[in-house]
Amino acid sequence: MADPRLFRLRVTFRETGRLAMLSHLEVARALERAVRRAGLPFAVSQGFSPHMRIAFGAALPVGVGGTAEFFDLFLADYVPAERALAALQEASPADLYPTEARYIEARDAAASVACPVSTYEVRLSAAPAAVAVPEQITVVRKKKEKTLAVAEFLVGPIALEGDTVRFTLEAKPTGSLRADAFARELIAATVAAGHAPEGLHPVSFMRVEQRLA
Amino acid sequence: MARRDLWPDIESLLAKVERPARYLNHEWGCAPGAGADDFAFCMIYPDTYELGQANQAVRILVNAVNAADGLAAERAFLPAVDMADAMREAGVPLFSLESCAPVAEFDVVGITLPHELAATNVLETLDLAGIPLRTEARAEDDPIVLAGGPCAFNPEPYAPFFDVILVGEGEEQLPEAVALIRDLRAADTPRAEILRELARRVGGAYVPSLYRWRSEEEAQAAGSWAEPLFDDVPAVVHKRVFEGFAESNAFEPMIVPYTEVVHDRLNVEILRGCARGCRFCQAGMMYRPVRERSADNIVAAVREGLGQTGYDEVSLTSLSSTDHSQIADILTRVNADCAGAGVRISVPSQRLDSFGVEMAELVAGQKKGGLTFAPEAGTQRLRDVINKNVTEDDLFSAIDAAFAAGWRRCKLYFMVGLPTETDDDIKGIASLAQRAYDRAKAAVPPEQRGSVRMSISCAVFVPKAQTPFQWDGQISPEETLRRVGLLRRSVKYKAVDVHYHDPKTSFVEAVMSRGGREVADWVEEAWRRGARFDAWTELFNEEAWTGAAEALGIAPQAIAEAVYPTDYVLPWAHITAAVSPKFLARERARAADGVTTPDCTFENCSACGACPTLAMDIELQEERPLKEGERHAPNPYRTLKETP
Repeated sequence: MADPRLFRLRVTFRETGRLAMLSHLEVARALERAVRRAGLPFAVSQGFSPHMRIAFGAALPVGVGGTAEFFDLFLADYVPAERALAALQEASPADLYPTEARYIEARDAAASVACPVSTYEVRLSAAPAAVAVPEQITVVRKKKEKTLAVAEFLVGPIALEGDTVRFTLEAKPTGSLRADAFARELIAATVAAGHAPEGLHPVSFMRVEQRLA
Repeated sequence: MARRDLWPDIESLLAKVERPARYLNHEWGCAPGAGADDFAFCMIYPDTYELGQANQAVRILVNAVNAADGLAAERAFLPAVDMADAMREAGVPLFSLESCAPVAEFDVVGITLPHELAATNVLETLDLAGIPLRTEARAEDDPIVLAGGPCAFNPEPYAPFFDVILVGEGEEQLPEAVALIRDLRAADTPRAEILRELARRVGGAYVPSLYRWRSEEEAQAAGSWAEPLFDDVPAVVHKRVFEGFAESNAFEPMIVPYTEVVHDRLNVEILRGCARGCRFCQAGMMYRPVRERSADNIVAAVREGLGQTGYDEVSLTSLSSTDHSQIADILTRVNADCAGAGVRISVPSQRLDSFGVEMAELVAGQKKGGLTFAPEAGTQRLRDVINKNVTEDDLFSAIDAAFAAGWRRCKLYFMVGLPTETDDDIKGIASLAQRAYDRAKAAVPPEQRGSVRMSISCAVFVPKAQTPFQWDGQISPEETLRRVGLLRRSVKYKAVDVHYHDPKTSFVEAVMSRGGREVADWVEEAWRRGARFDAWTELFNEEAWTGAAEALGIAPQAIAEAVYPTDYVLPWAHITAAVSPKFLARERARAADGVTTPDCTFENCSACGACPTLAMDIELQEERPLKEGERHAPNPYRTLKETP
């Protein structure tokens, strides 16, 4: 994987507005096309079906946007990071927009696992008096029900400021708790506890930070 | 007039539906949409985004209307079933993508008719938009509703649903029609008069409400089923042709979708029309004469298109791309341009008689998925009847070249139920496919022989309007199943598998293809009984169609299966693709005799009538390359752009 002859550019981008409704696959395809439009000297894999050498960060659920998303692009030739960024910006729509680019080491952790800790901000349709945090969440995965203990994934306290809830989840090698599933249960528990009226729902949902454990 | 913005209503539905990316707009390359002062046109593909966004006609026509002064075009597609149901429940009407405006608030609405199974979706579209289904029920201020596309060549099953049906190529015709409507609206012209002016002044515009539908007896005596109600509307509507096609820029601005669509790639149209003359093929009759764009134009369009879209695949499209006189040069240059960038170059519709070793190498060097060839019939006798003009040797040479160049899978397309077909022809399909498999195996290294696959894909013959086989009937669904059964039993090789198309949907296709104005009632009743998305096998609602026929007391089997003599006047006799009825009848007679007719882009004129009727020539860049031992015959209607 780590080819020392290639230049590894880590590009941070935002996924906002309507485009938060895109799936991870749709975002990946759109970014790849932006790289092609930008005319960057991307590396191409060898073999039967040559394709762009690009790696994406941890997936966002459909409906969740982000301000600190990233991908790693492997370039065959060196291009100054600011020039690469300008070319990418020129080739990108405002709601899927690169904001930063810097070179990282070939040996650095893969984009998909580099930042297992994510902080989310959910703006709600009304300001609850308090939030109720469920202890366990039952999710359906591959048609099997699985019960997850929230404490295993939740990092630090949950912050409530007016109508906005901020929480941090950590992805584990053994699995993770999806932010959208957690928010859904959090809202249900908050309504059930009488902290907010029926019909409480997210108005916007963003991942605002990704970092190391 | 300011149109409403439905986005807040749409947004609240998106959390509950699949693939919300279909409904978002905001794709790379999308136009800003119609402003309040623009005369607004909404182009609709009557199926989901995945099919419609990939459609070249939608792209071309939206661009053409946007390019006209003071006109603005937006796109709309039929939402998938889950979204349509959610919209009905929430009282949200069909909306355009660019400005998320109600379709019913546009000045003009155009629906393309891409194939015969889209009819109930036309009604679903109009109903969801809140536009009255029938032209006579529309109010003065309702949008003018246009149709166009391949099915316009037998428009009658759709006739009551459209104010105007545009026949032929729309690049110039559609902006012309929309601009005329704008001018007449500006002058407060009543709706009925606008329609009459369109019929009088726009070439290829058919306004069904201006024609009385004759009885069969009257029609046979008069030579047409449609009787003009006024002297100044044309008795015969001639298709329009975009005469500047060959010279026009092959680069067409395009939108890059977020969600995966069919044919998700850059499409560059390299030529239009095909004169191979297959007697079952409507496209081959509809787009005459053949016109090629130049290699320079095409190569530049590929470069610009890839640069602007960021696609990693380009398709050189047409009815028969390997027939382009400069195809080898084009592929060599495009290959050189794309070297090392991981770009796939695909050439659809490869004729197996022009797929040689050279072609195999030029589209090689990339991932080799399946290759598709269309012998159409299993025996030389039947291939001569249908004028396919390919031999077993052509197929075998193509297989040798392809498998030696690295392909391992090949799909062979056939039709069952072609006129004059016998059981021997069916057994011939099995035999041909098995021998093709043997050839393929012999062309690959011994250790790879296990991965060689050959598949047979069968469609039921659907007689199409404006073709030499328009007088022929479809075989019954039961007979189709018998013949498919015979084919399956005749295939002895495990590595050769057989797929076939559901005869129930092909039956509806045949009725839509051959029916007259009475079929429209059947369509509407079937839609009222729940038929929609008929082309989606899992959604096809057979009971709705059979129940509708019973309720109306019509016999669709008779429409699909009737066989007529070639002097019988058919329900589309008032529409012409510029190919004369005499030519079609002569071709039908030659079919009966098993006599083939050569391709006029290589050989002499076959007197179809298209060039003199349209006052046009076949426009080739240079003489098309021949196989060994063949010679070009002169043709007064063939113009070469470059003389070698």
